[in-house]
Amino acid sequence: MAGLLLAAFTHCLPMNAQVDRSKPPRPAPAPAVNVGQHTTFLLDNGMRVILVEDHQQPLVSVQVRFDIEPVLQGDRTGYIDLMGEVLATGTAAMDKETLDRTVDQLGGDLSTSSDGVYASCLKKNFNALFDVVQAVVTTPTFPEAEFEKARKRMLSGLQSRKDDPDGIADVVGRVLTFSKGYPYGEIPTENSVGKVERKHLEAYYKRFFRPEKAYLVLVGDLTEQEARLAAEKRFGLWRPVPLSATLDANGHEVIDGLGPVVRPTKTPKPSRVRRVAMVDRPGAPQSVVRVVFPVDLKPNDPMALAGQVMNTVLGGGVFNARLMQNLREDKGYTYGAYSSLDADRYCGHFSAGASVRTEVTDSAANEMVFELEHMRLNGVKPDELALAKSFMAGSFARSLEDPRTVARFALNTYLYDLPKDHYATYLKRLDTVSAASVMAAAERFLHPDHAAILVVGDMERVGNKLVPLSFERGVLQLDENGDPYREELGPVPAGVTPQTVLEAYFKAIGGREAVEGVRSVKRSMSSTMMGMPVTVTEWNAEPDRYALEVRSGTMLLQQVRCDGTRAKRYGPEGAEEIIEMELEEMEMNAPPFPELHYAKMGRLVLPGTVQINGEQAYKLMVMTDMGSTFSEYYSVASGLKLRREEMKATPEGTMKVSSDWKDYRAVKGVLFPHLIVQKGPVDMSLSVTEVLVNGASDAKYFAVD
Amino acid sequence: MLAIPLAAQKGAIAFTEFDLDNGLHVIVHEDHGTPIVAVSVMYHVGSKDERPDRRGFAHFFEHLLFEGSANIGRGEFSKHVEKAGGVLNANTNGDRTYYYEVLPSNQLELGLWLESERMLHARVDQKGIDTQREVVKEERRQRYENQPYGSILIEVLKRAYTVHPYQWPTIGFMEDLNAASEQDYIDFYKTYYVPNNAVLVIAGDVKAQDMRKLVEKYFAAIPRGKEIVRPAAVEPPLQREVRDVVHDQIQLPAVVQAYRIPAYGTADFYAVDMLNRLLSNGNSSRLNVELKDRAQKALYVGAFSFPFEHPGLAIAFAIANMGVPAEELEKAMDAEIAKVREELVPQPELEKLKAQLETEFVRDNSRVAGVASNLATAHTFLGGAQMASRELERYLSVTPEDLQRVAKEYFSPDARVVLHYLPKNQKP
Repeated sequence: MAGLLLAAFTHCLPMNAQVDRSKPPRPAPAPAVNVGQHTTFLLDNGMRVILVEDHQQPLVSVQVRFDIEPVLQGDRTGYIDLMGEVLATGTAAMDKETLDRTVDQLGGDLSTSSDGVYASCLKKNFNALFDVVQAVVTTPTFPEAEFEKARKRMLSGLQSRKDDPDGIADVVGRVLTFSKGYPYGEIPTENSVGKVERKHLEAYYKRFFRPEKAYLVLVGDLTEQEARLAAEKRFGLWRPVPLSATLDANGHEVIDGLGPVVRPTKTPKPSRVRRVAMVDRPGAPQSVVRVVFPVDLKPNDPMALAGQVMNTVLGGGVFNARLMQNLREDKGYTYGAYSSLDADRYCGHFSAGASVRTEVTDSAANEMVFELEHMRLNGVKPDELALAKSFMAGSFARSLEDPRTVARFALNTYLYDLPKDHYATYLKRLDTVSAASVMAAAERFLHPDHAAILVVGDMERVGNKLVPLSFERGVLQLDENGDPYREELGPVPAGVTPQTVLEAYFKAIGGREAVEGVRSVKRSMSSTMMGMPVTVTEWNAEPDRYALEVRSGTMLLQQVRCDGTRAKRYGPEGAEEIIEMELEEMEMNAPPFPELHYAKMGRLVLPGTVQINGEQAYKLMVMTDMGSTFSEYYSVASGLKLRREEMKATPEGTMKVSSDWKDYRAVKGVLFPHLIVQKGPVDMSLSVTEVLVNGASDAKYFAVD
Repeated sequence: MLAIPLAAQKGAIAFTEFDLDNGLHVIVHEDHGTPIVAVSVMYHVGSKDERPDRRGFAHFFEHLLFEGSANIGRGEFSKHVEKAGGVLNANTNGDRTYYYEVLPSNQLELGLWLESERMLHARVDQKGIDTQREVVKEERRQRYENQPYGSILIEVLKRAYTVHPYQWPTIGFMEDLNAASEQDYIDFYKTYYVPNNAVLVIAGDVKAQDMRKLVEKYFAAIPRGKEIVRPAAVEPPLQREVRDVVHDQIQLPAVVQAYRIPAYGTADFYAVDMLNRLLSNGNSSRLNVELKDRAQKALYVGAFSFPFEHPGLAIAFAIANMGVPAEELEKAMDAEIAKVREELVPQPELEKLKAQLETEFVRDNSRVAGVASNLATAHTFLGGAQMASRELERYLSVTPEDLQRVAKEYFSPDARVVLHYLPKNQKP
C-alpha cells in the first residue's frame, strides 16, 4: 500500500480560516541573547577566582580546577585516575565516612577528578560545603586503606569492562587515536594498576595541585562580597609546597615519590594509511564501529568554529546530521550514529561511531568512510549549513539557562587562551561561517584515508568483510587493552607432541595402515552459493594430483585441475594458469591425507590447547618451508580433526579461512567428515553426499590442457 | 506535623491552566530567565495499554510520530525544530509517552504547530514503519542485548508480574511489531493520541495571557477521541520468593532483588522511595557504606523505585567485587534491608535524606524543560499540576516509623524476585 495517511478525522473538521496548516508558522522577532557577566580576581597566592552571580534559584556551585599538562604514566598507568578517586576519602580532620556523611547531610554533591573538585548545594548550606571542599583540596591524606579499596574497585572495573563493548571501543579507540606513547592513549591494565603505590598519588597531588595553577569558580546565589570573603577565608592562606626542580640525565623532571616524569615530546599524527582493527566478541549481536584519528585542532584555532559547523552537519548533535540520516533513517542499520570533533590544547581528535547489527558491519563502516570523503570532496549544501548554524545558535542560547555555562566560558577563556570576547562574539562569528570555510575545515580536519577503523564485534562473522576497507589489506586483531591479540592457550600435557597428535588422528579415523591405503578419493558435495544450489566435486590423489568442479545443475561454474606439474583454473572468463606458491600449496594439499606428509612440509608446533565448538582441542601449527603457516585443531578426547585455519591472500587482501570438519562417517574402513562448514572468503556449508575411495583412475579429471 | 521549610514554599511552581472543548488540558508556566520555551505533550498511553500480542506499540509510536504528518514530509519534523535552533525528543514508559521540544521563545508557534500536527493527522507510511522497525531492533540490541546486565528489567518484569501488562518491557518484542498490520497501527493512533488523552505544557519565556488564543488556533480543531478504556488487570500479591539464575556475557556476578510496591502518588510510595534513598543515595547511604566501603563486597550498588501508575517495583541491584560470590553479596544486601525492618532509622539520617531531597527538588525545577515534565506528570498521575509543588512536602512528611512500616510491608523476603546474574562460562 502506498503512503498511509492517518487523516481519517480531517474531512469532518470545521473550516478554520485563521490557520494555514500547510506551512510552519513564521517566527516572532528573535529575542536578544545575553551572555551573562562574570567577575574575576586573584588571591595573593595566585589562585584565580571566577564568580558568576545568579539569584534565580537558591543554588550555589563551586569548582576548583587545576591547570595541569599531561604527563606519561608508563608502566604505572592508572595512578592519576586513582589520585582523583582517592582525593575525597580523607582529610586532616575527616575520615571518609565523616566526609561522606557531612556532604550528604548538607544535601550536597561533591565529586573529584584528577584535575580538581566540584561541589554544589543549596545556598543555605554553602558555607559548610565550601569548608569540605577546602579540606579536600588543601589537606587530603590519601589513606592507605582507601587507596587499596579504590585500586581493587579499579581492577574489578577493568574486569567488567571486558564485556562492555562500548567501554572496549572507548579504550581501544583512544589507543588507536593517540597511541600508547601519548598520555591520552595510555590505558590502565591489571598489570599497571598493580604497580601503583599510594605515594604516587600523594606525589602527583603535591606537584600539581598548586594555587598558582588553580581556578576557583563560584556560581549561583552569591554576591560578590560574599564570594570574596568566602574565597579568601578558605584559600587565601593556602601556600604551595616549594618545587624542587631536579632534572635527571634525560632532562625529565624528578618528582619526589614519583621519580622522573616524562612529558610527551611528539603530538600524535594520523596514521600513514587507513587501518582496520578488531576486538573479537564471539556471538555479539551488534558491532560497535568507530572511525578515529587525531586532529591538529586547538580551542583557539581560527577554524575551530567552522570545524564544529562541519561536524554538526556530519554527525554532531542534530538528528538531521548525515550519519544519522544515512545509517539510521535511510538504512535502519543502527539506533544512532554520531561524530565528534574535539578541540584540545594538546591534541584534538575526531571520532565517528555507531552500534550496528552484525550483518551490516562492513556496509556501515563503508558508509561512515563515504560520509567523511563526501564531506571533504563536496562540502555542505546551503540548507544543511543553515540548519547547522541555527541549531548551534539555539544550543548556545539554551546553554545559557544554566549559569554554570557563563562560568565555563570564563574558565575556558583563561585555560585555552581565547580572545576576551570569544563568547560574546560567538553568535556573530557563527553567522559568518560560510560553505567555503566549512569545506576548508573538512579538508583540514577529516582524514578518512588515514583513519583507524575499529570494530568491536564477532570477528568470525565480520573480520574478512572488513579487509577491503584497510589500506594494509588485513585486519589487525587487538585485545581489550588495545594490545595485539594473543590467543590464550591451555598447557599441553607432557609427552604430547605434534607426532602423537597426528598418530592419534590416524588411529581415530581407522589406523595408519588403512589411511596409507587410501591412494585416491572422489568426494561429491552439495551446498548453496548465493542462494543457488550447487554441487561440488573434489578429487585428491597421491602424490600430488588434485581437481575440483563446481556446478549449478549442469552448468559448470568453476573448475581446477592439477596434474602434479601444472595447474589451471577454468571459469566463465576463461582459463588461468596457477603458478608459484599457489601451485606448490595445491600440490602439497593434494593427497587424500596430506597429514601423512606434514613432517616433511616444514616445522610442526603444538602451542597449546583451546576450545573448538565446546570441545577441548590441540592446536597444531604447520610452518611450511615455503613460508606459509596454517593451523589445525585436533580433539583431545576423540583425536579427530575439528578445524583447519589459514590466512589466504585474496585480491582484496589477506583473509582468514577456516573449515570445521563434522559428522565423521566410515567409508571403506576410514572416517571422512561428511559436513564441512567453511568460513571466509565465502561462507558455505558443504554436505558430503558420496565418498569414493580408490575408485577407477580418473586421470582425465587431472589433465591440464 | 512538620513545618514546611522555606525553600519548599518559595519553590512552589507557578502555572495557569485551562481546557479546550475537545478535552485537551493545557498548562502554562511563565519564566523569562532565558529566551527559550519548552513545548511538550504527555499522552496517557504506555506499554500497559498494549494488547499482549502487540507489545512495544507505545514505544514504537514514540518513533513513528516523528515521521511527519499531512503537512510535514517524511523526516521534516526534526528538521523544522533543528532549523529553528531547537531540540526535540520523546520517551516512553509503562504509563505514558512524552514528546517535547525546547525552542528559542520566538519559535513557540512552531512548537504548537508541530505538536498539533502530530495529534491531528500524523503521517505513517510503510517505509517509515519498516525503517523504524529496524531502528527499534537496533535500539533493543544496543540497550538490552549487547550490554552487560542489559536484560535485567526484562528478566525481572516477566517474573514480578503474571497478569498485569507491566510484565513486558516498554521496548516490547520484535515478533509483535513484525506481526502488526497497518490497521493495528491506525487503531492504536486513533485510540490514544487524542486531545482528551493528552496534556500540553508550555513553559518558559511566554506570556501566559496570550496562550489560550494561540493554543486554540492550532489545537481547537482536533476532534475529541473516544473515551479511553484503561487496563483493568489487578496483579495479585507475590506470595512467595521467585528465584532464578540468568547467565549473561559478564565477568562479575550481580544480584537483583525486586519488591512490589504501591503506586506512584500514594503516601506509601514516598516512604518506599525514601527507603531506597536511605539504601543507595549518596556515598554515606547504607548499601554504599556497608557493601562497597566496609565489606568491599560490591563494585556497584543501587536501589530504585519505579513510579508507576499501578503498583510498581523497587529494584535493588549490586555487582560483586572480583572474587565475591553472588550468595555472599545477597546476604549482605538482605542484612541491610532487615536492619530497616528491625530498627527505627535515626532522626539525623532521615534529616540527611530530607536535605538531599530539598536540593534535588530545587535543581529539578531549575530548567524549563524539567518544570514542563514535572507539571505534565503531576497532572497526569498525581491529580493535578499543583501537586508538582507538593512532591517535596510529601517526602518531608515521612517518619522513621513510616520507613520501618513500609520495610516490613513491602520488602519481604517471602514476596520478591531474586535473580543472580552469573558469567556465561559458569553455566553448568
